[in-house]
Amino acid sequence: MDPLNSGIGPSPRSRSVGRALGACALAAVVSILPVDQSRAQSEDQASEYRVKAAFLYKFGSYVEWPDGAFAREDSPVVIGVIGADALAEELAQIVAGRSVNGRPVSVRRLRAGDPPVGLQVLFIGREHAGRLAEILASVKGRPLLTVTESDQALDLGSVINFVVVDDKVRFDVALVPAELGNLRISARLLAVARKVVKPS
Amino acid sequence: MKPLGSLSLRRKLFGIVLLTALVALIVALGAIVGYDLRIYHRSLVSDMTTQAELLGRTTVPALAFDDPKVAAENLSVLRFRPAVSAAALYNARGAIFATYKRRDEHIQFPALPETDGIRIEDRDLILFRRIVSDGEILGTVYLRADYELFDRVLDYLGIAAVVLGAALAIALLVAMWMERFVTGPVLAIAEIAREVVGKRDYSRRAAKLSSDEVGTLVDAFNDMLAEIDRRTVELEASNARLAREIEERSRAEREVLRLNAELENRVRERTVQLETANKELEAFSYSVSHDLRAPLRSIDGFGQALIDDYAQDLPEPARRYLDRIRSSTKQMGLLIEGLLNLARVSRRQLERRQVDLSEIAKQVVNGLQQREPDRAVEVSVWDGMRAEGDAHLLYAVLENLVGNAWKFTSKKDKARVEIGALRDRGHTIFYVRDNGAGFDMTYADKLFGAFQRLHAVSDYTGTGIGLATVQRIVHRHGGRIWAEAEVGKGAVFYFTLALDEERPAGMASDAERADG
Repeated sequence: MDPLNSGIGPSPRSRSVGRALGACALAAVVSILPVDQSRAQSEDQASEYRVKAAFLYKFGSYVEWPDGAFAREDSPVVIGVIGADALAEELAQIVAGRSVNGRPVSVRRLRAGDPPVGLQVLFIGREHAGRLAEILASVKGRPLLTVTESDQALDLGSVINFVVVDDKVRFDVALVPAELGNLRISARLLAVARKVVKPS
Repeated sequence: MKPLGSLSLRRKLFGIVLLTALVALIVALGAIVGYDLRIYHRSLVSDMTTQAELLGRTTVPALAFDDPKVAAENLSVLRFRPAVSAAALYNARGAIFATYKRRDEHIQFPALPETDGIRIEDRDLILFRRIVSDGEILGTVYLRADYELFDRVLDYLGIAAVVLGAALAIALLVAMWMERFVTGPVLAIAEIAREVVGKRDYSRRAAKLSSDEVGTLVDAFNDMLAEIDRRTVELEASNARLAREIEERSRAEREVLRLNAELENRVRERTVQLETANKELEAFSYSVSHDLRAPLRSIDGFGQALIDDYAQDLPEPARRYLDRIRSSTKQMGLLIEGLLNLARVSRRQLERRQVDLSEIAKQVVNGLQQREPDRAVEVSVWDGMRAEGDAHLLYAVLENLVGNAWKFTSKKDKARVEIGALRDRGHTIFYVRDNGAGFDMTYADKLFGAFQRLHAVSDYTGTGIGLATVQRIVHRHGGRIWAEAEVGKGAVFYFTLALDEERPAGMASDAERADG
């Protein structure tokens, strides 16, 4: 037995499975991430939303909702999207067949004024920046991860706010509104956040 | 290279100790090093695998949210692992996402990640490991670490050399220390043995330093020396005794030789005296005999004249007296003749040459037959009897012996005389045999003495000088003469002429002298 290789590489079976998954994921990521610098520079709205959709899906893995946030054990993680149809479309494609923390994921488009009930994640697009304060105020204290893409959104009570820095999508995190909603955000997520607003 | 057997004990001991230590150390070090290298390899591999896994997990968020800066920060933790020379993170599409280099390293990162695995390349351990999160492949970790197996081997070789050196030095010291107890006593014995052999000093003793086998050897060696010492002393004593005895013997021998020489001197002197006396006696006897003949002849002559001229005038008794006188003078003449012959035989120089005894015997027999033609004697003479000697004297011998035989067979009806020879052990024995009167063997020793007669003159005439003369002649030839006889049946006279081989040359003269 070759000691250099023993017990290191995956078994042939798991390797082939991994390869299939990898190919699948690669296809997905290729479609949403900037391939090179020139493409990134000419990034348009669509590709920005593609990235944001992917991030939005992934945030779920780094957040712990309190007991009672879900109706049942196998209740899906519901991501509500307000005022960003393109993103909602992308997101719907991404989450198809995927799960977060062992739960299926579903996307629900909301209109302004729809009660944000039965949601775990709520994305509020720029289109509704004017009503941001109102919407955020209405969900304050709920176990709901609010994600926005507007300046000053964190001050208004949003948990995560997307920003674009050097043509790349980044995000800031505010811990106070998360604590208010009993959400626990993983330190690993905070590690990749551009800025973390901590309770003073 | 010397054969092992010729190395000294000390070197052998050192060799054994060092070789044993060396072999034990090499085996032990080999085992330890082998084990350690294996452990090193395993632990490095598992360590790096763990490290890669850890990195993978740590960088999941960075990859997920496309943040190379955070990924680079994550990788920079590796600066606390100086063994890692380089690391890289590839994203899901296989592009380099973040890298890490140990200071002063110049490394070309692989352009594309490889499948999971670990390999050793040159002196580096290279590892690729995929980052999987929630069933999705997010990227690949690349790690490059120093694989110091070869350096470790070198280090170990250095350590092994030092350890070997130190251990061998200690072993050498131990061997030198042990030598005092092991080879030291043996070498001491060898040294003493050399000295003992060199100086022949058996009083030396080896010191007993231990009670092991060497101690036993020392005891045995000392016992042996004691035994040799004892024996040497004995041997020397016995040698001295022998030398003394030999000295005594040689002294005695010298004494004997001296006495012998003295004796021989005396014998020589006596012999000279005797010879002188003998010669004087012979001269005297010869001159007496010679001088006696003249008056005897005149007595006989005047007696004859008386008978011739005055026979008629003389009375019968006077004539008978005159006859008596004349026969006595004749007898005396014969005696004188015999004595002169005997003297002549003694004085005459021997003229040795080949002599035909058969011929001489025949002449003698002829002479006798002519003198007494009326006697019928059966005489047989062997042919071809030859001898070395003086012809005249040998004639006298046969004349006497055959004459005796003739004379002593005169009263036999059938007289027989035989002259022959015998061979006995290479010598020729001549004999004269008759069937005459013989004699009593009791008187055999008197037979050859002068004037010795075994028969009365009235029975057989004779002077008693003949056999003495014969014996004298035979002795002068270096021979012997003896006789066998029986009264009334005859006699045999044997004689030899050549010197018997087993008799020394001086024997003839001795015999002659004894006769004189």
